[in-house]
Amino acid sequence: MGNRKNKHFVVENQIGELSSLAGKIEKLAEQWGLSPAIAMNINLVVEEALTNVIFYAFADNDKHEIEITVSLENKRLTIKIEDDGIPFNPLEKEQPDINLPAEERPVGGLGIFLMSQVMDEMHYNRQRNHNILTLNKNI
Amino acid sequence: MNIKKEKIGNFAILKIKGRIDTINSTVLEGVVNQLFDSGEKNLIFNCSGMNYISSSGLRVFLVTQKKAIPLNGKLYLCNMQPAIQEIFRISGFSNLFKIFETQEEALEN
Repeated sequence: MGNRKNKHFVVENQIGELSSLAGKIEKLAEQWGLSPAIAMNINLVVEEALTNVIFYAFADNDKHEIEITVSLENKRLTIKIEDDGIPFNPLEKEQPDINLPAEERPVGGLGIFLMSQVMDEMHYNRQRNHNILTLNKNI
Repeated sequence: MNIKKEKIGNFAILKIKGRIDTINSTVLEGVVNQLFDSGEKNLIFNCSGMNYISSSGLRVFLVTQKKAIPLNGKLYLCNMQPAIQEIFRISGFSNLFKIFETQEEALEN
């Protein structure tokens, strides 16, 4: 039987939430025996996903909950981020041209690309008026 | 994040410790802008203590390079941890900056 580990976080759509969340993820990674590099990858994915959601997903000024689930099963790491914002499929976002010189590189637009690069797979689903972004990595 | 400023020869050195993320990246940007405003154009970022960077942090480095180029300034990075180096590599940022193993090497260039 699998030794599936699972951790669920719920944060509000406030950018300040990132700081305490980062510490919690580092602690979790340590408890699960993951390397600092993997901890950094998890934090990177969570930060990039959360900043997108917090800055762009909500047209109102209301409080929203964003759910983050990190799980590990047989060396397969899964990060799931779920929000009730406007439909947004990050997989449809145009990839940046990483070969441009500094003068021509546009500022920004790297977040989703970084997420996709540090993980092996990225999936998007729209269900029950929620965006569900799932990323996997074999570690 | 903690930033220590130092001046050695023609270089302003910024020693960065901790995380550069969405919350604090503008602080670093402010420090860099102050240096440019005060006439510095050769910067070394000593990244030995930098253990995390997101796209917001990368953005500050790119914006700094875009400012340094027309000034004919030098923008060097050194002492990067492997995980940070990897982020620079996958984003193509390794090609946008001169990256040195040590601060001494950066100072000699």
